[in-house]
Amino acid sequence: MAFAVFFFTAWLITAIFFAIPKKLTLIENTFIFMLILVISINWSWIIYEGFKFIKITKEPMNYTGFLFFRSVTIPMLLVLQLNLIHRSKMFGSTAVITVLSVATLLLLDGLSIFFGITTYQKWNIFYDFLYFTGLHIVTYFFLWLFRKISYRGVDYS
Amino acid sequence: MILWEAFDKNEIFILILNILAYGVFFLLPKKFTRDIIILLLVWGFTIGVFFDFTIGGGLIDFYLLNDSNKYGLNDVCYYLAFAPFGYFFVYFYEVFHINRATFIWYVTVWALIGIGLHWIFILIDIVNPKNGYQLLYSFPVFLTTQTMTVLYYQLIKSKHKVFKNTEQPN
Repeated sequence: MAFAVFFFTAWLITAIFFAIPKKLTLIENTFIFMLILVISINWSWIIYEGFKFIKITKEPMNYTGFLFFRSVTIPMLLVLQLNLIHRSKMFGSTAVITVLSVATLLLLDGLSIFFGITTYQKWNIFYDFLYFTGLHIVTYFFLWLFRKISYRGVDYS
Repeated sequence: MILWEAFDKNEIFILILNILAYGVFFLLPKKFTRDIIILLLVWGFTIGVFFDFTIGGGLIDFYLLNDSNKYGLNDVCYYLAFAPFGYFFVYFYEVFHINRATFIWYVTVWALIGIGLHWIFILIDIVNPKNGYQLLYSFPVFLTTQTMTVLYYQLIKSKHKVFKNTEQPN
């Protein structure tokens, strides 16, 4: 059940990404995806395996569900929300999209606990809220930085 | 997170590898636009991190990296060495004007180079296989990632200006 749910969410977010008109270039989308993938992998390794703040399941299929969440859902959702934000540059819609994106990640976190994929040891949902919010800020910053370095002297808009 | 368990042959080799790889990277003429260069470096780095943390650790845990299970600075340096190799792979793809026919040879040779490096990594204890992992299992990993790289690069090339000068995509 848990594997199917997490595979479905990973697929759904990827499918939505393919369906929407992209506001970032293919290069920018790939760059952000890879950057968030690296952060997500490192973060989960340090928090889960290093400090053992969160315990991960040893059940193979549920563990695979966790891998889909860590390596597909999180980076893909960050890329998706970035494209949605750039469709409408109004502050209100940016705030709403960001809140919805963080809420989706927290909801998936809740599902992960519900299915027994993860168990908080010395951790709580507020820390995850801070992490996901920070991840969104990092995403906006690195897209800005990437554009600044790549297209120096070029108006890309 | 630690710096390293013991600073010995594997740490020295990783340092030399990084110096050589980044040295060659900076010496090679800059052929690509800045965004493509960044993308190729991040691409190489990400593939290394992704495979190592997916099959090299966690529940599957096919190998121990360096001297300790703890995540160390030497591990990060090991992954950093992957970045220029991602760049070299595409750089020489263009230098040798690889096409649909020569692509087979190109990927096979790079996969063999990858296996050779992996063999050295095992010899000097950078990679310590376990749980039945064998060196040749990395061959399909190299073939897959390098084929993906070529396909992705061709897609990028069809949509974006990749060369710094006026060189046109095929």
